[in-house]
Amino acid sequence: MKNTDGTRLHSAVRPLVQDALQRGMDRRSVLRVLSWLGVSLASARGVLGFTAAAAPSTASSPAQVPQRGGTLRFVCSVQQMTDPATTTWIEASNLFRNSVEFLTYVDSDNVTHPYLAESWHPSEDLRTWEFKLRDGIRWSNGERLTVADVAFNINRWIAPSSKSPNRTTFAAITAIEPLDELRFRLHLSRPICSLPEHLYAATCPILHRRFEEQGANWPRNPLGTGPFQLTDYHVSRLAVFKRRRDYWGPAAYLDEIRYLDLGTEIATHVAALAAGQVDLLYRLTIAELDLVQRFPSMRLLSEPSAQTLVMRMQQDQKPYDDVRVRKALVLACDREQMLRLAYRNHGVLGEHHHVAPFHPDYFRLPPIKRDVGAARRLLAAAGHPSGIDLTLCLGNTQGRYEQDTAQVLQQNCAEAGIRLALQVIPAAQYWTIWDKVPFGMTYWAHRPLGVMALELAYRSGSVWNESHFANPRFDAALDRALAILDPQHRSAAMGDAERILQEEAVMIQAFFPQKLTVASTRVRDFRADPQDYYRMDRVWLA
Amino acid sequence: MARMSVVDAQASGLPRWLLLKIGGMVLTMIAVSFLVFSVLELNVDDVAVKVLGQFSTADQRAAWLQEGGYNAPFLLRYLRWLGHFITGHWGNSTYYREDVLTLIAPRLAASGLLAGAALLVIVPVGLALGVIAGVREGSVVDRLVSVFAIVTTSIPEFASAVFLTSLFVFWLSWLPGVSTMADGFHLRELVLPVSVLTLYSAGYIARMTRSSMIQVMQSPYIRTARLKGNSMRRVILRHALRNALITPVTVIMLQIPWLLSGVIVVEVFFAYQGFGTLLYQAALNTDIDLIEACTMVSVAVVVTTQVASDLLYAWLNPRMSFR
Repeated sequence: MKNTDGTRLHSAVRPLVQDALQRGMDRRSVLRVLSWLGVSLASARGVLGFTAAAAPSTASSPAQVPQRGGTLRFVCSVQQMTDPATTTWIEASNLFRNSVEFLTYVDSDNVTHPYLAESWHPSEDLRTWEFKLRDGIRWSNGERLTVADVAFNINRWIAPSSKSPNRTTFAAITAIEPLDELRFRLHLSRPICSLPEHLYAATCPILHRRFEEQGANWPRNPLGTGPFQLTDYHVSRLAVFKRRRDYWGPAAYLDEIRYLDLGTEIATHVAALAAGQVDLLYRLTIAELDLVQRFPSMRLLSEPSAQTLVMRMQQDQKPYDDVRVRKALVLACDREQMLRLAYRNHGVLGEHHHVAPFHPDYFRLPPIKRDVGAARRLLAAAGHPSGIDLTLCLGNTQGRYEQDTAQVLQQNCAEAGIRLALQVIPAAQYWTIWDKVPFGMTYWAHRPLGVMALELAYRSGSVWNESHFANPRFDAALDRALAILDPQHRSAAMGDAERILQEEAVMIQAFFPQKLTVASTRVRDFRADPQDYYRMDRVWLA
Repeated sequence: MARMSVVDAQASGLPRWLLLKIGGMVLTMIAVSFLVFSVLELNVDDVAVKVLGQFSTADQRAAWLQEGGYNAPFLLRYLRWLGHFITGHWGNSTYYREDVLTLIAPRLAASGLLAGAALLVIVPVGLALGVIAGVREGSVVDRLVSVFAIVTTSIPEFASAVFLTSLFVFWLSWLPGVSTMADGFHLRELVLPVSVLTLYSAGYIARMTRSSMIQVMQSPYIRTARLKGNSMRRVILRHALRNALITPVTVIMLQIPWLLSGVIVVEVFFAYQGFGTLLYQAALNTDIDLIEACTMVSVAVVVTTQVASDLLYAWLNPRMSFR
């Protein structure tokens, strides 16, 4: 069985297609796996019998032909950014996404597409991946993109001194082997079936091979292969990108994108949209939902998302080093009440393991029911018969609903004898201590696969492991899940990882709020992305 | 601050008085600078974490501290910083990644523009309302002005900002919702922030002017002027107003530092890129060089305004003289 480019397909492709066609396996999940295995999307869609995709929540009008030109004004934090590989802000990644590109592209339906890499093929054991770069891609300084650029990036991601979360994500990469100017192989110590999908993480743009020699400060030297060029950049104020006329791919529709930082007050952003001063908001919170729905000039965009608030406890800090205390907190929590009061039921319930029911690798476990009596008993057994005083630190980094959620938890805890104090600090300050506080509420962005979130946040020694959770059984379960292609079998492996997280009561994770944003009706072909990853080259203004 | 009264200055004359005032300013700024430097830079480890980031290693921090001279004694570091500040080397903003002096200048100018526009409205409105109420003490107009003044000064800026935005942006669609001036200067973008500042401040000036006017209008020299047959208009404009302005002028002068560096809420609400927003961001991001510079600029604005206020006070009050 061969791909359209004549290369031999992975042996798992045929059984997967048969499962989808004959045994009723979810075709979207299979499509996604086929895309990992390098099957061309056209072939995969054809074989699986896909017709036009269901209409997404998008600012678009299919009847209209896209128009070129215009300046789009996008309200978004203009944050300090120097090295895209270490950025912790998705807003910042959306800025450089206009100029620097990735080896692969994952769309809003979580299907992986070729991008800088034209094709890829895994070995049968999924430990060797051969990639081929698209020919003719040029940097904005006129140089050609080659394997040397890719090797430079991957080597710095996996270097022991790397400060990028990519060090954890790609820890299995042992070497990159250049084959010629456009082809290279990645050698892995263990199989990772979803490797192409990981390559679209916010921290994985391909930077120019002399990035470090030139000061390792991207805004000062904004070389890129992308459709726009950074022309103006002022932290906390403004960033301007202009269309590149020599872009290797189809030219972008917009002439210019102006990112305007209007501060953290979302109502102010909506006021600017109402007054026609801006065209698009990066984020809307539940508090402004009613206001937005009253304006015919605004289009509300929403998507189910695995973004979530994790109230995690550091397992090496007292009193959270006692699993009974952690379990008492989990048992005291009323997830339904949190979702209802803090997010007006615009989301789905979480199950205290950070994997969403709509993640393809989700495994359904028996729900943890609220049990205040059991929480009290656990506390007493842990040596706190008269209750315990705890402090939860939070920063309202995504809006006031974080504090509302925490306040519900505070009330829930009071019933179980836990006197929970809330320490609310400004968002900007929270991001400097998010992984240091013993009990903190952290916003985690959507990841297309549950295993991606677990890998980043809970694997032993991971750069972003804020709970300091270290469990070899859990790590082994992740390794198994990462190696299994069949979505159903992978989900079963994920069940082990989810169960361990629940048993160890690593976090309180009550719900997955919907992704909400809003655009002017002028903005076309812009879709709310569950990950907040926005490519602007196909967006246009009516 | 070492504050010298104008009366004391009478004997020594204006140059000596000014010299003493400037000396007081300098002493105040040095005292504040020491306080600010102590708060922000006493713990050098915190400074290293802030500048190099949370993922920096202990070795990197140690190297950075060594390179930046942070291992020197605290007092020596302070004196070095003071020397740099005096010679115009205000350091670099860790958040904005720009030279602090370059960063502050346009922000101060933007706040100056907003403050100037606000004063152009606040002063005439406040004085006019105060004079009208003061000369008709106890009348319906006086009561209306008093109620208006109390209500507007009682409403915090963030509340009036929300109210005016709801009315003029969301409901009537007359005005822009933010004042970024991202595409250059637009007078319309100043309307809402100026209105909020006017609502908050004009009432206070009106009340001060009113009480001062009432006091002046009861003075014997005003009665004499009336008895001489002067019209009420002439009495107010020629005899009463100048003396009645002494108190409100002090209040108006005190508004200037507030308008330049204290209107953080209004600037942040309307996304106005002024000095207040800069100070807010500097504080949020623990941007040490920027906080220090902003604080020093704020102190300079306050003490300069006080000197100007004293000069104006002496000019308005004929009984005060430097000779």
